[in-house]
This record gives sequence, C-alpha cells and structure tokens, in this order.
Amino acid sequence: MDFAQAIVMFIQLWGVIGAVVALPFLVFGIDRIDEDARDAYVFRPLLIPGILMIWPLVLWRWWQIESESSAWMSRYRVVRKAHGIAAMLMATVVVVAIIFGLSVRQTWPADFAPQQISEAGQ
Amino acid sequence: MSVKYIPVQWNPNKWLYDAIMLGGMAVFLWVFLYVSPESLSHERPVNPQIHNARAFGACAFVMLTIILAIGPLARLDDRFLPLLYNRRHFGVMTAFVGVTHAGYILNWYFAFSSSDKYVGLLYANSSFGQIAGFPFEVFGIFALTCLLILACTSHDFWLKFLTAPVWKRLHYLIYAAYASAVVHVCLGILQDQQNHVFTVIVLVGAVSVSALHLYAWYATRENSVGAASGSWFDVGQPQDFREGFAKIALLPSGDRVAVFLMEGQLSAISNACAHQNGPLGEGKIIDCLVTCPWHGFQYDVRNGQSPAPFTEQVPTYRLRIENGTVQVHTDANAPGTPVDPTPLPVSEITA
Repeated sequence: MDFAQAIVMFIQLWGVIGAVVALPFLVFGIDRIDEDARDAYVFRPLLIPGILMIWPLVLWRWWQIESESSAWMSRYRVVRKAHGIAAMLMATVVVVAIIFGLSVRQTWPADFAPQQISEAGQ
Repeated sequence: MSVKYIPVQWNPNKWLYDAIMLGGMAVFLWVFLYVSPESLSHERPVNPQIHNARAFGACAFVMLTIILAIGPLARLDDRFLPLLYNRRHFGVMTAFVGVTHAGYILNWYFAFSSSDKYVGLLYANSSFGQIAGFPFEVFGIFALTCLLILACTSHDFWLKFLTAPVWKRLHYLIYAAYASAVVHVCLGILQDQQNHVFTVIVLVGAVSVSALHLYAWYATRENSVGAASGSWFDVGQPQDFREGFAKIALLPSGDRVAVFLMEGQLSAISNACAHQNGPLGEGKIIDCLVTCPWHGFQYDVRNGQSPAPFTEQVPTYRLRIENGTVQVHTDANAPGTPVDPTPLPVSEITA
C-alpha cells in the first residue's frame, strides 16, 4: 500500500512541477522561441497536458533554443534506422505474450465441465 | 505549419477521414454491445459498467492495431498514403477511447474501496511472481500513458519545438504501447474467454501488425552507400535523372540527399522535410516547387525555401559533374541557402 501511495504521490508531484513549467512557458517563453506562436493564444491551452507529461523535455528544448546550442543539421537526421529495432522488439514481445498468455489459460484449448476433486470441507 | 498556430487544422479530407473513423468506432461499439454478445463471450451476465469497459477496451485495441498497420502499408504501397496523412487524429481518438475504458474500470472495480481508487488500482493485485494472475493492469497503465503522451504531443507546435527527429523518437513509444497492450490483453481478458472469437481477432491483429512491420523494414532497408571521393559523393549518371523527379542518395553520414532534375538542371536538397522528415525526393516538381508526399509542404529545390508566407527551410547541397558522374558535396549548406543549379549535358536529358 505504501509503495502504491508513493507512486501516486510521485505522479501528482510530477504534474505539479509540470504546471509550474507550463505557466511561464505558455505566458512568455513560447513567444520567444517560436514566431508562429506570437499572437496565437487559442491553441496554447492544448499544450498544457503535453507539458505536464514531458516537462523535462520541454525545459531541455527551451534551453537549447534559447542558447542556440542545437546543431541545425540534427533537425534533418531521419530516425528511420530505429524502425527495424522497434519492429523486432515489438514482434518479440507480441509472440512471447501470446505464448505465455495462451499457455496459462485454464480453459484452453476447449471448455470442459468442472470436476470436484475433493469432498466439501476438506 | 509556418503560419499562426490554431487548435486543430481542418480541411475537407480531414473531415471525411474523421467522419469515417468515428462512424467505424460507433459501428464497432454497437456490434460489441448489442449485436453479438454470444460470439464475444458475453453470454454470462455482466453489468453495463463491465460490458462498456470491455467494449471500449476492445475498440481501443482494434484502433491501435489499425494505426500500427497504416505505417508499413504506406511504406510498401503508395495507395495507403492517404490513410497516413491524418493518422494523428486517429491516434488522439484512440487515446480518448483508452481513457474511457480505464474510466469504466476504475469507477467500477476500484470505486467502492475505502482507499483512493488510483492507489487501489496499483495495490489490488501484487502477484508479480507468477504468469497466471499476473497484474496485467500495469501493462494497460503503461500503454495508456504512452498513448496519452503521443496524443498530448500531436499538435504541430510539438513537431517544430522538439524537431522532427526528437518528436519521432518520442512517438516510437507507439511500439511499446502496442506491445504492452498485447500483453495486457493476453494476460487479462483472454484468460477469461469461453468463446474464441475475440482471441482470434487479437492473435490475427497482433501477429499481422508485427509481420507487416518486419516485412516493411526488410523490404525498404538500405545497406549500402555509393562511392565517395574526398568530400564528393557519387549520386549517379546523368541519364539516371528524369525531368521533374529526384534521385535519392544515402551519404556515408547517414543523411539523405534528393537530387532533382528541373528544366535540364540539377539541384540538391535534403531528402528530409522540415515538418515530419517526410521523403521530399519522392515528390514531384511543379512550378519549381517540390511537394512533400506526406503532408504537402513545398520547397523551391534551388534554395530549399518554402514559398511565402511559409517559412520552412531545408538544407541544400552543392553538385558537380565529374568524369561523367553526378556528385554531391557531403557537407550540407545551412537551410535555405541558394545554390546555382548544375546544367546537365543536353544529350543526357531525358523527358
């Protein structure tokens, strides 16, 4: 119970920090780093859930853009090679999940009537 | 997009796409809930809360399966590309369906405890040491978390802010989400199936998606690059180029260059669109502009710039013809840098 409560508290804390990041980012930070966001306000509330979830990434990119520390070519480096690894990992997990899932099914491969294997009360 | 952001960008195609998607969802839920309870193993009475939870869970799984199938299908066959264009709407709707499923579960199985229902969800089953009865809920929580991250970062702002490569890496979570959803289903509802219709649907869907991705990766992989001499890299012979189209070269650095032939002259730009890194080299030139086949972003191939009022730019590359071979310089110019086109010998131009 304590561990479960700790996880829930961690998630709540994560969200609170995200809200603290979201406020300055959406009020003035976004105008500084993206010209397309200037004078555009209606879409900003849509960004709040995303900031709550990935605020460390938001802070990292915000700092990168402000400090101009990102190599411009990295924006055009396609990540296609990772597709093969992702596909293989996904397929492996799927096959293992199916095998384990079906192997522990108690009524598979066919239904059968329940049998009483001991007397009541024993 | 390089105009002011708006909450959701609509056009007639997206209206149609979303209408078909929502219609399909409604039909699926209606069939699940009201038409075929026997074939879906609901012959035993369950209350509406559980029935709805199962319906939305099954719907989310099927939607996720379709989403995962669209990518490799579009990679293998251009006719599936229209399904790829608006896939983000599909993903966001899947996250909503998944949240609805989780909501029904939380508000039925964990709502009547004295403890917080979220704590109860994490605490109720802790049989981590066995496969049968394993707390399959954690896989569902993980899959839903991934889907929510993807849905919440689907706006075009995130693409530009994070850059396409970072955004793409983040959205690789879809694979983890699907694998986790399959485990969630296999260790969860499939353990309770008296009728095998849903089992077959899950197995066929999951295996098909896995096979499609492996085949698409195998069929489109690139193992080798051409010859390089110093900083210049061989792209091909002049007769290899076709007016209005590109030849794509994979540089030793891993970057891809699209070399276009336009009006008898060659121009080279990055093959990666500034929006989602779509393959510009698979687009066709119309009025000096190449259109990205994924989402329609356009660039002048002579300077890598989008036409006003748009501000997207891609890197350009220098070209030369050396000993009858077209070569590209491996160092990219900064995005939007104009480069004088390289004329092809007149005898080598093919229409």
